[in-house]
Amino acid sequence: MSAQPVPPVPSSAVPQNAVAAAPERNVVDQAPKGEVVLKITDLCVRFPSDEGPVNAVQDLTYEARLGRTLAIVGESGSGKSVSSMAVLGLHNPKRSSITGSILLDGTEIVGADEATLRKLRSNTAAMIFQDPLSALHPFYKVGNQIAEAYLAHNSVSKDVARKRAVEMLELVGIPNPQRRAKQFPHEFSGGMRQRAMIALGLVNNPKLLIADEPTTALDVTVQAQILDLVKSLQREFGSAVILITHDLGVVAEVSDDILVMYAGRAVERGLAKDVLARPQHPYTHALLQSLPSASEDSDQLQTIKGTPPSLVNLPSGCSFHPRCTARDRVPGDACATVLPDLRVSSPGRQIRCHLANPEQVLAQEGAS
Amino acid sequence: MTATPVSPTTPTSESTPTSESTPLVEVSNLVKHFAVREVQGLTMTRNTVKAVDNVSFSLAEGETLGLVGESGCGKSTVSRCITRLEMPTSGAIRYKGKDIARLPERQLRPLRREIQMIFQDPYSSLNPRQTVGAILTTPLRVHNLAKGREKARAQELLELVGLNPEHINRYPSEFSGGQRQRIGIARALAVEPKLIIADEPVSALDVSVQAQVMNLLSRLREELGLSFIFIAHDLGVIRHFCDRVAVMYLGKVVELGSKAHIYGEPQHPYTQALLSAAPDINVVRGIPPKERIRLVGDPPSPIDPPSGCRFRTRCWKAQEICATQEPPLEDKLGGGDDDIPETGDEHVIACHFPEIKSTLVAEVAR
Repeated sequence: MSAQPVPPVPSSAVPQNAVAAAPERNVVDQAPKGEVVLKITDLCVRFPSDEGPVNAVQDLTYEARLGRTLAIVGESGSGKSVSSMAVLGLHNPKRSSITGSILLDGTEIVGADEATLRKLRSNTAAMIFQDPLSALHPFYKVGNQIAEAYLAHNSVSKDVARKRAVEMLELVGIPNPQRRAKQFPHEFSGGMRQRAMIALGLVNNPKLLIADEPTTALDVTVQAQILDLVKSLQREFGSAVILITHDLGVVAEVSDDILVMYAGRAVERGLAKDVLARPQHPYTHALLQSLPSASEDSDQLQTIKGTPPSLVNLPSGCSFHPRCTARDRVPGDACATVLPDLRVSSPGRQIRCHLANPEQVLAQEGAS
Repeated sequence: MTATPVSPTTPTSESTPTSESTPLVEVSNLVKHFAVREVQGLTMTRNTVKAVDNVSFSLAEGETLGLVGESGCGKSTVSRCITRLEMPTSGAIRYKGKDIARLPERQLRPLRREIQMIFQDPYSSLNPRQTVGAILTTPLRVHNLAKGREKARAQELLELVGLNPEHINRYPSEFSGGQRQRIGIARALAVEPKLIIADEPVSALDVSVQAQVMNLLSRLREELGLSFIFIAHDLGVIRHFCDRVAVMYLGKVVELGSKAHIYGEPQHPYTQALLSAAPDINVVRGIPPKERIRLVGDPPSPIDPPSGCRFRTRCWKAQEICATQEPPLEDKLGGGDDDIPETGDEHVIACHFPEIKSTLVAEVAR
C-alpha cells in the first residue's frame, strides 16, 4: 500500500465518526466502544543494515480507541516499540522505509512533513519512555520542561505555562508541586521522575498517550502506584492509552485490549482478559505457561525452545513455527511454507495461526 | 538465630570441623556502610549509606535461600560481602564454620573456588574481546585445575549448560542474551564451586528464555548438589527456585522463613505489600486476589533511614512504638503458623504488629 499524505485537518473539522466508519479490515466482532483515535493499517517498517533489510514491523493493523487501554506485548525485537515510535513519526525517514497507513486523529502520519508532525506531537499524541532519567533533560528544571511543552502548542504567557506545569505535577500526585517544579530531574526519585514524565506527556491533554515500558525501571511497589495513576488519569481525561510492555502481569492489571507481537507481526489480538485466560495462539499460550507463579508451587517450568528469530532473515511460513509445539497438529507443512493470515478465530479474537481449533489443541498441550 | 559467637580476630587459627549441623554459610550481624560525599555549592557533607545493617541468616548445604526486596534494599551488597567482593564493615560471615569476613586476599583464593557468582547482565559480565574458550579456561588456569586438558574441560562445561561445544572459539557477541547467560553459568561452574550466588540471573532475559535458564539452574543444582543464594525481585521466580526466602527492606531482613511461610502466611506488612504489588500469573489468568495493598511513596534514603522500624514511613499499621523502638527479627509465637523454633524452619518477622494475611495471592486450588 502506498502512503498518501493527507493534508492536516484540525480534528474538530472532521466528523468524529468518519474514521471509525471507514471500512475495517480484519473486523473484530463486538468492537469495543469509543472513538478511534489511531488507526494503523498494513504498517511495515524496515531498516537497512549491513546484512540486509531488518523487517522490524510487518503487516501491522490495529486501532486505539478513546477511553481504552491497548497493551502491545512482545519480547525484545518483536517490533512493539518500533511500531509505536512510527505513530509519532520518530523514525528518521532517511534511515527507514515505512509503508502502510497511520491515521492519527484523521491525519496521515506516514510521509507527513515535520511541521505536521510537530503539531501532532504532544498535542494529539504523547509518549512516555521507559527511563525517565534519560528522557528528561538533566539541565532544565522539571517545571520549565513541562511549561515548554505547553508553550509550544498554546499561545499563553510564560507565567500561565508555569502555573499549568505546577498544576500538572499536582495532578500526578507529586507532593509540594510548587517547590518540585523548581528542581532538576536528578533531585527526583525514580517513581517521582516517572510521574513527572506522565505530567509532561499529559500537559497538552492529548487524545493518545503511548507509554513505552513505563514501569520496567521501577520497583514493584512503585510500579503498582504508577499503574494506578495511569488508570485514574485515563478515567479522568478519557484518552486512549497504548501500553507497550513485556510484562503480562502489567497487562492484566490495566489493559482492556491486547495485541501480542512476535518477530514484527501481530500474532494474537483481542480483549485482554479473554486472551490471558484462554490464549489461542501457541506463542501466547507458551508465554503464559513459562511464567513462574507466586501463588503456586511449580516443579519444572514450561519453556519455549530456541530463541527469537533474526529479523533479517525470518523463517519461512509462520515466523514462530521453528519453536512451536503445536505445528504437528496442522496437516501438511503449511506452517513452514505458508504465512498464516491474521484471521478472526472466535468473536472478538484474531490469531495468526493455521490451527483450526486452537483452544482445544492448546488445552491438550497444557494438560500433557 | 543460633549463632555461636566466634571471635572474628582469630578466624584462621580456628579449624572448626564441618559437622552435619554446621550450616554452609552463616551470616551474623553483617553490617556494610559506604562513605559518600555530597557536594553542594561550596559545602561538602560526608554521609554513610547504611546499605546493610545487622543482617543475619544461615544457609544449609544443598539449600537455596532467596533474597528479595526493592532496589537499594541491600540484597546485592549482602551477596557481594559473602563473595568478599566487598569487605564488610563489621559482623561475621562463616563459611563452613570459618569466618571469612576479614580474611586477607591471599587466604581468600581457595575460597573463591568454592563460592562463585552469576551476574545479572550477560552483556557486561563477559569480556567482549575474549573467546568463550578463554573465558572458561581462565578460572581453570587461575586455580590450577584440569591441567593440560583445559580445552576439553571448557567444552564439557559448554555441553553441561546446553551450548554447542564446537562454539568454543566464538566471541560473546555471537551469542544471544540467553546463551550468554549460559556462558556466565558455565564460567561459574568451571571451578566446581559449592555455593553459587546468583544476582538477578534471569531478570535481563526475555520471558521465553527466562524459563530455559531457570530450568537449567534447577537441573544443575540437582546434578551437582549446589547451594544457592538467589537474588531476585520477581516473587514468582523466587517461589519457583528457593527453599527459604529472606525479605529485605532498607538494609534489614524484615521477614525470613520457608517458602510456604512467606507465600502462604506472610506476616510482615512489607512482605504483604510486595506480594500484593507484583501481578501474579494467576491474576493474569483472571483469578483475582481477595485483597490488595498499595503502598504510598518511595522507599526512604538509606543515608538517613527512619528511626525505629525502617518501614514505618510507608506502613499502614505504624504506631508510636514503631518510631521509637526497632522491632527485633524474631519468631512470633502464637502467630498461628506451624513452624518449630530452633529447627532452622523458623519463620521470623521484624514487626511490632505482625498479622497473617493469606488473601494476597490469587487463590488457586492446591
